[in-house]
Amino acid sequence: MIKEIAKGLAFTLKKMGTHPITVQYPEEQKPVSPRHRGRHILHRYDNGLERCIGCELCAAACPVGCIYVLAAENDPKAPISPGERYAERYEINLMRCIYCGYCAEACPTEAITLGPRFEMADYRRERTVVTKAELLESWPGFAQGQRPPSPVGAGADQTGREDLDPGVRPRAAWAAQENTLDHQTAPHPGDLGVPVDVPTVIEPGAGKTK
Amino acid sequence: MTAVAETGTPPEQPDDGRVGISIDGRELRVPKGTLVLDAATEAGIHIPIYCAHPKMDPVAVCRMCLVNIEKFPKPQPACATVAGDGMVVRTNIPEVTKIREGMLEFLLLNHPLDCPVCDRGGECDLQDFTFRYGPGISRFPITEKVHFKKAVPLSEHIELDQERCILCWRCVRYYDEITGEKEIVLQQRGVDTLVSTFDDRQLQSKFQGNLPEVCPVGALTHRKYRFVSRPWDLQRTASVCPECSYGCNINADSRDFEVRRFASRDNPLVDDMWLCDRGRYSFDRWNTSERVRRPVVRSDDESRDVTVAEAITQAARRLREIAEEYGAASIGVLGSSASTNEELFLLERLARQVIGTPHVDHQLEPFDGISAAEHELGIAEIEECDTLIVLGADPEEQAPVLTLRLYKAERKKGARVIRLSSDATAADAAIAASGATRIGLIADETNRAHAAAVATALGAVGSVRRLTITRGINGRGAKDLGLLPNVGPAYAALAEPGKNGRQILEGLASGTMRGLLMLGPNPALEAESELLERAVRKAACVVAFDTRPGIVSRYATVLIPGHAVFEKAGSVTNVEGRVQRIRAGLPPASATPVETRVLTTLAGLMGAVGWGSGDPLAVNRLLRDESPAYGRAGNGGRALFTAEAVA
Repeated sequence: MIKEIAKGLAFTLKKMGTHPITVQYPEEQKPVSPRHRGRHILHRYDNGLERCIGCELCAAACPVGCIYVLAAENDPKAPISPGERYAERYEINLMRCIYCGYCAEACPTEAITLGPRFEMADYRRERTVVTKAELLESWPGFAQGQRPPSPVGAGADQTGREDLDPGVRPRAAWAAQENTLDHQTAPHPGDLGVPVDVPTVIEPGAGKTK
Repeated sequence: MTAVAETGTPPEQPDDGRVGISIDGRELRVPKGTLVLDAATEAGIHIPIYCAHPKMDPVAVCRMCLVNIEKFPKPQPACATVAGDGMVVRTNIPEVTKIREGMLEFLLLNHPLDCPVCDRGGECDLQDFTFRYGPGISRFPITEKVHFKKAVPLSEHIELDQERCILCWRCVRYYDEITGEKEIVLQQRGVDTLVSTFDDRQLQSKFQGNLPEVCPVGALTHRKYRFVSRPWDLQRTASVCPECSYGCNINADSRDFEVRRFASRDNPLVDDMWLCDRGRYSFDRWNTSERVRRPVVRSDDESRDVTVAEAITQAARRLREIAEEYGAASIGVLGSSASTNEELFLLERLARQVIGTPHVDHQLEPFDGISAAEHELGIAEIEECDTLIVLGADPEEQAPVLTLRLYKAERKKGARVIRLSSDATAADAAIAASGATRIGLIADETNRAHAAAVATALGAVGSVRRLTITRGINGRGAKDLGLLPNVGPAYAALAEPGKNGRQILEGLASGTMRGLLMLGPNPALEAESELLERAVRKAACVVAFDTRPGIVSRYATVLIPGHAVFEKAGSVTNVEGRVQRIRAGLPPASATPVETRVLTTLAGLMGAVGWGSGDPLAVNRLLRDESPAYGRAGNGGRALFTAEAVA
């Protein structure tokens, strides 16, 4: 009996000197796993062109039908994505999404992945339908003024969202986390077995950047 | 399989013009001259095809349909081999599987594999057969593909992707065999072969829109449908092309509540699966946001939005007031050639039986001496004639798909097609048709009287049957159902003819008539907007159904929002009297009930009894009971009013 009490107290005394593992959320946050399936990110190529070609395979693969894509034809002089087709509208209903990741699996250009963000709650239902501007990765290559740089980096582009609700701001802790994830570990053309120098329809722009 | 073959072998059959053939152990008897491919389809066995097309002659260039036939030294193309008695065909043996895998590997050698951005992706035969019969892998490095030009505009409607082409020749043969225009050619030889127009000229045809449907892959695509939608996003509504009276069957494919394309729906009796460009590319017209959305009641200078119930009550009250004060004959009733049979049937009854006015019409021009004989020749029966006389350019301009039927009669049946000017004398026509026995005379409805004279003269040469091209999707139905001043339903002569459309409008403008009940939109009134405006402004009461803002919606005293073609159910009658259903595929622009319901309620308020619920289907039953010709026609049959047809 005394032995057990002593054992328990010894453990308590030992832990008294260490830091608590409790995180003071939301002021403090822990990094999530790199394979975490959170809010979606639409990626770009290194040259700034959007990876998404508007093929709607993500919408076809989606088991709950939460993705809406409307495609359009690229202007060859000012293309938005490589090739003929791009997504004019890309919307995901986050309330309906089950974060299964089938969209990322179906994507032929690795354009959509599920990112680290998990705080999707909002006060208005319509705001949980996120648009392309919100999903799209910001691109550091853009000149200042051409497009406002995202305050926090990839996957958290709040362009056009500030006026909806100034209170919606990703936290500083997230900024570091997301920057690390997307600039160092996000897939690049050439990774994941996608040959860069192949002049296929899907990626003619990718070859030019090399 | 073999068990079926052994036990199911039929005993010796008498010679009935059929041959016995066994496909994968399935025994069946098919008429002599049937192709192995068609026999297999009948037996429920799928054979992949690219170059074969149900409406074209076989060429056997794609080699996709090769099958094993016993006693033949080599595999035979099913699409070009005629079934013989005792033939034993096999499609499910490793030899055929290997042939198919090899063919698909060949076809995909230089195919760009850009299915994600291809408009055909999802309804592409190359995609489907590769999944079903393909080898799954390619031994050819993706880096060594030969590339051709992408997105070459062949005309304002058609875009050609030369990389995706599998050289099946269907487009070349379409122009050779179906339209006879020969606009597309194959250039170069070997691996460099590509489909193109001669000298890179733009396509001129009026039937280009069929090319993307003929193409088994995504090489030929519609420019108006470029990247618009994926096939699985489209909601298909089986309907009838609203552009002319020919009644081509279409699928109105919509996405996000807008029509995105018209696709053909094969009806061998009408369109033979071809559409004209005017019809096919007219779908945008139905996506306008300029619509009448609320019922409006106007009195003097006040205009207010009201509920439908109030609009109908007001309409009934005002029409009754006019009838009591000035007599029922001071009210004119105008139907429309764009309305369904059900609406026109109710409108005619409402006008003649409830309101009691003789002044009923659906267009402006007078129609004296109209008879059922001028609509007697069926579209498919054109092929039975040995001489076809087309009076003027109007018939083929009004109903372009007619041209393809005439060419088919000429090419397949050896008929003579004689195109005369619209004012060619009867004697000229008789000379041109000399030697004919079965004459088909095709004229436009604006040329009816002259066509009747020509028909009389041709009667001395051979038997004459006439086809008259009416205007509007349901111009024929409006005439059948008696929306004419001088004849009632089924072309029954009336003792006292009423005023025609123009006289009604002039009467309203001059003040001799007071009220107007009209069903809109009415294409016949578009050309006469000045007269229409004078009429509706002067009239004491205008009860109008309309879909789009315009003169009528601006001045109508009671305005009720109408439903456009793809927003309502019903039936329409085409130029040969074929009654075909249209279905609701788009949500209506207003919350107003469909016209048939509103008309039924209006009639009820004006004293009619026993008109039922006004549901389009219920009205259709009523119409079939009332009109024997429509009862016999049912859905898809022809409503015929000639004496022989009735007897």
